[in-house]
Parts: sequence; C-alpha cells; structure tokens
Amino acid sequence: MPPTSAALTTDRAGGAGLALLALGVLWESRALPVGTWREPGPGAVPVGLALVALALGVALVARGGSAPPLGGVGWSEAPRALVVVAALAFLALAFERLGYRLSVFATVLFLVGAVERRPPLAALVYAAGISWGSFFLFNGLLKVPLPRGPFGL
Amino acid sequence: MPETLQNLALGFSVALQPAMLFYAFAGCVIGTLVGVLPGVGPLAGISLLLPATFGLDATRAIVLLAGIYYGAMYGGSTTSILMRIPGEAASVMTCIDGYAMARKGRAGAALAIAAVGSFVAGTLSVVALMLLAPPLANLALRFGPPEYAALLLLGLLVLAYMSGGSMLKSLAMAALGLLLGMVGIDQMSGYFRFAYGVVELGDGLGVVPLAVGLFGIAEVLLTAGQPTPPVVQKPRLRELFPTRREWRESVAPIGRGTVLGFLIGIVPGSAHIISSFVSYAVERRLSRRPEEFGHGAVAGVAGPESANNAATSGAFVPMLALGVPSGPIPAVMLAAMMVHGVSPGPLLIQQSPALFWGFIASMYVGNVMLLVLNLPMVGLFVNVLRVPYGYLYPAIIVFCVLGVYAVNGSVVDVWIAAAMGVLGWILRKLEFETAPIVLGAILAPMVEMSLRQSLAMSDGHYAIFLTRPIAAGLLAAGVLLLLLGLRSWIPFADKGADA
Amino acid sequence: MRGLKPIALILVLASLTGLPSVSAQEPFPSRPISLVVPFPPGGVADLTARPVAAALERNLKNPVGVVNKTGAAGAVGMQSVATSKPDGYTLLLALSSISIIPEADKLFGRPPAFTVDQLTPIALISADPTVLVVRVESPWKTAKDFIEDARNRSGQISYSSSGIYGTLHMAMELLSHAAQIKLRHVPYAGAGPALTALLGGHVDALASGPAVVLPQIKAGKLRVLAGWGESRVPALPEVPTFKELGYPDAEFYIWAGVFAPKGTPEPVLARLREGLRAAVGDPEFKAAMDKLETPIAFKQGDEFARFFAADAKRLAEGVRKVGRIEEKKP
Repeated sequence: MPPTSAALTTDRAGGAGLALLALGVLWESRALPVGTWREPGPGAVPVGLALVALALGVALVARGGSAPPLGGVGWSEAPRALVVVAALAFLALAFERLGYRLSVFATVLFLVGAVERRPPLAALVYAAGISWGSFFLFNGLLKVPLPRGPFGL
Repeated sequence: MPETLQNLALGFSVALQPAMLFYAFAGCVIGTLVGVLPGVGPLAGISLLLPATFGLDATRAIVLLAGIYYGAMYGGSTTSILMRIPGEAASVMTCIDGYAMARKGRAGAALAIAAVGSFVAGTLSVVALMLLAPPLANLALRFGPPEYAALLLLGLLVLAYMSGGSMLKSLAMAALGLLLGMVGIDQMSGYFRFAYGVVELGDGLGVVPLAVGLFGIAEVLLTAGQPTPPVVQKPRLRELFPTRREWRESVAPIGRGTVLGFLIGIVPGSAHIISSFVSYAVERRLSRRPEEFGHGAVAGVAGPESANNAATSGAFVPMLALGVPSGPIPAVMLAAMMVHGVSPGPLLIQQSPALFWGFIASMYVGNVMLLVLNLPMVGLFVNVLRVPYGYLYPAIIVFCVLGVYAVNGSVVDVWIAAAMGVLGWILRKLEFETAPIVLGAILAPMVEMSLRQSLAMSDGHYAIFLTRPIAAGLLAAGVLLLLLGLRSWIPFADKGADA
Repeated sequence: MRGLKPIALILVLASLTGLPSVSAQEPFPSRPISLVVPFPPGGVADLTARPVAAALERNLKNPVGVVNKTGAAGAVGMQSVATSKPDGYTLLLALSSISIIPEADKLFGRPPAFTVDQLTPIALISADPTVLVVRVESPWKTAKDFIEDARNRSGQISYSSSGIYGTLHMAMELLSHAAQIKLRHVPYAGAGPALTALLGGHVDALASGPAVVLPQIKAGKLRVLAGWGESRVPALPEVPTFKELGYPDAEFYIWAGVFAPKGTPEPVLARLREGLRAAVGDPEFKAAMDKLETPIAFKQGDEFARFFAADAKRLAEGVRKVGRIEEKKP
C-alpha cells in the first residue's frame, strides 16, 4: 500500500479545491431562503449541491493517496501559459476601449513577435492581416457587431 | 404516403430553383464560417444573420437561415476535431475523441466520419420530420415540467458514464459543473444568485464561455510553449479518409445517435444540447472496447455528431407542426417567419404548403450541399494544422475571444472564458476530465427549474412524478440504469486515477 | 521585451482619457446611432425595433443600427443605456418591464441595476394589451366563469408566465388583486415556453400578448376570455375588456417605447421625437408592423411621459403587492 499519510497527490489537491469551493458556496448561500420540501426556495438546490460536492471533495482527499504526487506534475509550460493569460487579460480590457482591430493587432503582434520571437516584419503583417481581415469578414460581411475604438477603429 | 410524395415533389420544385439553391448554398457557406468560429453555434449564427434576411421573401429567408443553421453545425465539428476547441457547445464531446483521432493522424477520417454521420442523421431525421411531424408534435407537447425533470435526471446519470478512469473524479467534476450552473437569476423566485452585482451574470456563466474556456483556451495554455503543433503529420491523401474498419465501426453509432438525437430534440426546451453528451455515454456503455474512449474511438465521434444533427431536426417538429417555439433556435425561425408575414401555427402546413415543403426539401438539399462542401475541404482544413504553432495559437486565442464575445456582445463573457481557461488548464494538469463540468453546468439550472415548476404545478406534492405516465416511466428507466450501473461500478472505480 | 508590455498598456490606457469627446456644436446626428434592444433577436422587442430603426434612419438620413444586448430579462441592455453618454447616439427600445426591474431589485434589497430616473422617455411606439387565454377544452367559456371558478377553488387554477415579475406574471397579478382571486403561478423561462405549457395542458391559463396567440386561436386551439386593455383588441372585437367586466384596475399593456439616457440635450431629444413621429407614419413601417400584427400606438414627449409614469406606478404597486414569494405562507 503506498503511503497515504501526508502525501499531497493530484487527486487530493483537486478534492481539496472542490471542498473549499463547496464551503464557499454554502457560505454565500446563507442569504438565500431554503424554503420547504413542498416549496423549495432559491437556496435549496445550491445548498444541496454544495453538500454533495463537499462530500465528493472529502472522499477524493481521503482516497486520493494512490494518485501521482502533486510535486511530480510538470509545470514547464507555466511561464509561457501565464504570458498568454496576461495577453488574454489585456485583450479583454482593451477590447471595448481600443476597439477590436487595435486590441487584436496589439495582442497578436505581442504574442507572435515578442513571445514567439518571429521575424518582426512577418509578425507585423500577420497581426495586421488577422485583425483587419477577421474584422472585415465578421463585422463587415457577416454583420457580427464588434467594438470600435478611437477614430472608429 | 402518395400525398406526402406529392407534397415533397412540390417542395423540391421550390427548393431546386436556381435562386433557392443559391440561398441554400450561401447559407451553408456562411453557416460553416460562423460555425468554425469557436463557441458561435447555430443559435448565435441565425440570430446574428436574421436581420440580414429581412429584405428577402419568406421562403428564401427560411432557406437561408436553415442553411446557416446546418452549416454552423457542420462547421462546429471542424474546430473540435482539429484543435480541440468546441465550435459550439454541443461539439464538446467531439473534442475528446475527435481530437484524439487527429493526434493519431486520423484527422481526415474523423472529419469525414463527422460529416457523413451528420449527413445521414440529418437526412433520416428530416424524413422522420416529414412523415411524423404532427403526431410527434402532439406527443412532444405532453412533456411538461415533471417529464422534463425526469428526462434531465436521466441526463444527470449520463454524467457518471462520460469519462473513463475514476468514477469519483468524474462525479467530482460533474458536481463542480452543477455548482457553476447555479450562478444567475433564480427564475422561480427572482433572487440573483452568486452574481455579486454583475448584471451580465444574470443568465448564468453561459455555456459558450464555459465550453470555449475549458476546452479551447485551456488547450492553448497547455500547449503554447511547444515548438510544433500537437498534431504534426500531414496525412497523405489516402490516409485522409476512414478505413473500412473505421466505417464499419461508425455505422451502428450513427444509427443510434440519429434515433437518440431525434427523440431528445423533439422534447420542447433546450434539452437538445444534451443529445451529444447522452450519445457519447451510450456509445461508451455499449462499446466492446470502452477503454478506447478518450483516445480516439470512432464511435465517440460518429455517435455524438449524428445525435447533434438529428436533435436539431427534431427541434423543428413542434415548431413546424404546431407553431410553437420549442427552443431558442426554432423561436428565431418562427420570428423570421412572422417578420415575413407567414403566420406560424398549427395551420402552417395547410396555409403555406410551399413554405413548409420547400423548407423540408431545402433541408435535404442543404445536407447534401454541406457534405459536398465539407468532404473535399477535409484536406484543406487539415492543412491549417501545418501553420507553425507560434502563429497558430495567437490566432486561436483571437478567434476564441471573438466567438465568445459575438454571442452576447459582452466582455464579461470573455473574462469568464479566460477564467475557465485557467481552471481547465489546472484541472488537466491534475488529470481531471473537464467535459462533465460543461454538462453539469447546462443541466443544473434546467433540472432545478423543472423540479420546482413541477412542485408549483402540484402545490408541493411530489406524487406528481409518479402519477404522470411519461414522467414515471422515465424515472423508472433511470432507476433501472442506476442499478445496472452500480453493479459494474466497482470495476470502474478500480481503473485508477488516469483520465 | 516582456517588461515593456505593462508600461505599454498603461500608456495606451492613459492616452485614452485624453481623447477628445464629441463636441456639442456638431449637428445631430452626424454619427451612426445605436438602438439598443435588451432582448434576443427574434423576440417581440427586437421585431418591433428593427422597423423603427429602419424608418428612423430614413427620416434622419443617418444610419440607425439595432444592437442586441441581452441578459437578465432585459436588465443588462437597460443598464448599459442608462449609464451611457447622454449624447443621443445611444437609445433604448424598452418594453414595459422597464418599470418592473428596478422595483424587483428594491424588493430584494439589492442596489438596482438601473433606475427609471436614469432614462428619459422619448416616444411610445406600440402598446399591446395582454389577453387571457385558455385551452378550448377547458370548462370556462367566459371570463366570468373563470373568475367565479377561481373564487370557488382558490389557488387551484394554474397559469404560466414568462418569468417571475415578468410582464405576463404582472398582468395576472393585477387581475388577481382586482378580482380578489388567488391563482397558482408556474413561472417559465420566456413567453415561448409559457405558451407551450398552456398548449400542452400543463397549466390552465396564460396572459399573453395577442399577436403570439392569434394563430392558435384561429386554429381553434385556444380561447380568449378577456383583455387587459382600455379598449378591445382590434383583431379580437368580440372579446370584452376587464374594464367592461367591472375590473378597471386590471389594465396592462406590453408596450414598446424609445428612451434616451437622462441628460441628453433638449434639441437632440426634440429631433428624435420628430424623427420618431415621422417614422411611425412611414408606410414601410406600417406594413412591417401589420405583418407582426402589432397595432401602432404612438405617444410622444409629455404624453408618453404621463402614460409611462402612470404605468410605472401601477406596476410598482403590483410588484410590491406580490412581494417576495417565500414570505407569503398559504
């Protein structure tokens, strides 16, 4: 039997996360009336589900001893992934302020040029192509409303 | 029967006019483009393009919209298979085995099977629609909240069978999804739940941001650092198409998926989205090699894709036969008809036979067109994968954001998708499967609402579930499945922690 | 290279605050106008908004585009316009639920998504009275039958609605209070499912906009008992109003009107009022509304403001009377 005492495995981490979320839901539901069996209120199902989730989370922690250890999970892609997350956040923030084309251009240029280190000219052309091209296709031809920024861009 | 054939002849005479063919084709192309966009599925596609049809006459507008609808469904599978990004919420299941097939170099085969399966399912269900619309519609009307609740509870059971590996982990992810589904306005009491004053969360986190985030964005986060695209080989032409064995393996799933999807689709409401999930679970359960699922099982693509298409045709049954909007997509089609002065209702078939039969005929035509469009394009689509990944994944990110934004025009959805992307990334690292989250989030509010509506109808008496035959029957089936499942639950749990 | 990104971001965002705003000397309109519809495409509000936008565009000789901003039963779109710049380029086409949403927010003690004070009414476009429909197989042939039965079997007759505190729910509630009856409410997620529920026999009655149920009435599936309007519905001339039947407090319209954010300059408002008046008389607009079977009921400026205020007051009262459901015990 593999040691189950203090081993932090992937299952246990997941289970703990779920249990914590369930507790959070229970806490947030305290303002919602639970109602009766005959007339369940807005709090009834969330509380019920949270209890089930809590039980599952605890079960995962208890039985998760045989899973791979958490420390063994390779996070080698993490730095790159975090940069992508940051770029995504920028895109979301800028989307309605700078408009679709500018924010997409900036994001793609950054990712292709700075992060992926492609040749600058190629990155510029590609970024411009993606941003202006997709805008024309979806906003112009298909009439999908996309935000415009300063100077109508 | 002869009358039906006569009517169908009328329909084809309408649908095969060059102008109509043009509109059907235009619809298919536009729909494919829209469908390929992550997250934007048939509903968003039709809604966005509805205004563009206002200048057309009724039949042309309907034919165009139907083309967009089907095109979006076909297009949705393409991104699912090639990049593990759901083109629409219902394609989530195709992401799993379709992408796995692509990784094994069978991308072309997966695309072809998806296209053919969709075609067969679409055509067969149009036939069923044509022959059985009025009686089926009346049956569908008898589905009220108790029946709906029973059906959805059955759907919940499906959650347990969706992934291989540890049952406990699947259930945990399902529970997570169910909890996420609780965000939003409680339709029964008016309370805002877990929305923290953000009005945009009133309708919930949204299936599209969830699916695109957990699958699309998470996929990019997992693979961004890699120098080459995860799917690396350019398949030779011969390898583009499925082998005999693969075709044989897809026949039965296509058949089952069609029937299952059509039946689920008829039920009024948004249940048709679960058709692909249910089909996947059924195929897994019935397969002689369930361990293949998740790693490129042909049935895992053939079944869900067929079910999806059949469900969309099924959804038209109540709409055409009774003029009743049985879901958001038929509602938009009905509105399109109203705008063009066609009064939808039980008399639609009698009053506007050219429209009705023309519509049906154009659905056949549309299916054929899409097959013709998509099969040769398989090679083209697969070539997209040859673009160096450093260029490809930023474009993927952009299109995910575009797709998510397009549905509601709200940046809040983009934030949700981003957050779900991070969550999906972490969960994949911890080897938890994320598909049950999407299904749970879809089902939770629907089950809750049906349950509480049933109790409102019966003034709080739970007996309503037993006194109504359809509901009781579905519940009995569910209990049976549960018992059958429990017997083999023990082997599943011992399969270990690999997903 | 990576360190530059946050600085670049700050610089970009900072420069945005210095962008020039549209000067007030520009003639109105000189840019495309957005008519925000807080409901999904294909719904009543959307289908009414599009002919309005098209006709207004023809009159103003300036593009007017419909933008759907859906969510939270309309609250998302309404909030977005209420908080937008009052320059006349962002308008709202709202349904009568606009008066209900802030009241419901107050009821639950949460900060309202928007308040009616944040908006200025410009013109009313249409006002459909709701009608009471039941299945043809039901035992009630007249409204009187229905109300009497409801009195005898308090709380037994069920009705569906498009959602709690929604327009169809409030219409029924107004009737319940006026006629002193108690009905059983089963909320659904939208008018479509509510109608399906009635057709399927899962509920007994429904308050609905007339256009949606006309085909079903013609096909002999539904029967109309009475209407909530001040006068009879033109398409249903034999159907009495609740006012005629002795319940004048049961008055409810699903109306659609155009609003602008408060603070929009008066000349801009005047131009819009004029534009809308012309739009409503436009023959293409009339044809479009005919196809939708929605009668035009134009009111503008002060007249609309009065109508709106009275309607809002009625609805606010109604919402307060409904209260929070779990606080009411049978």
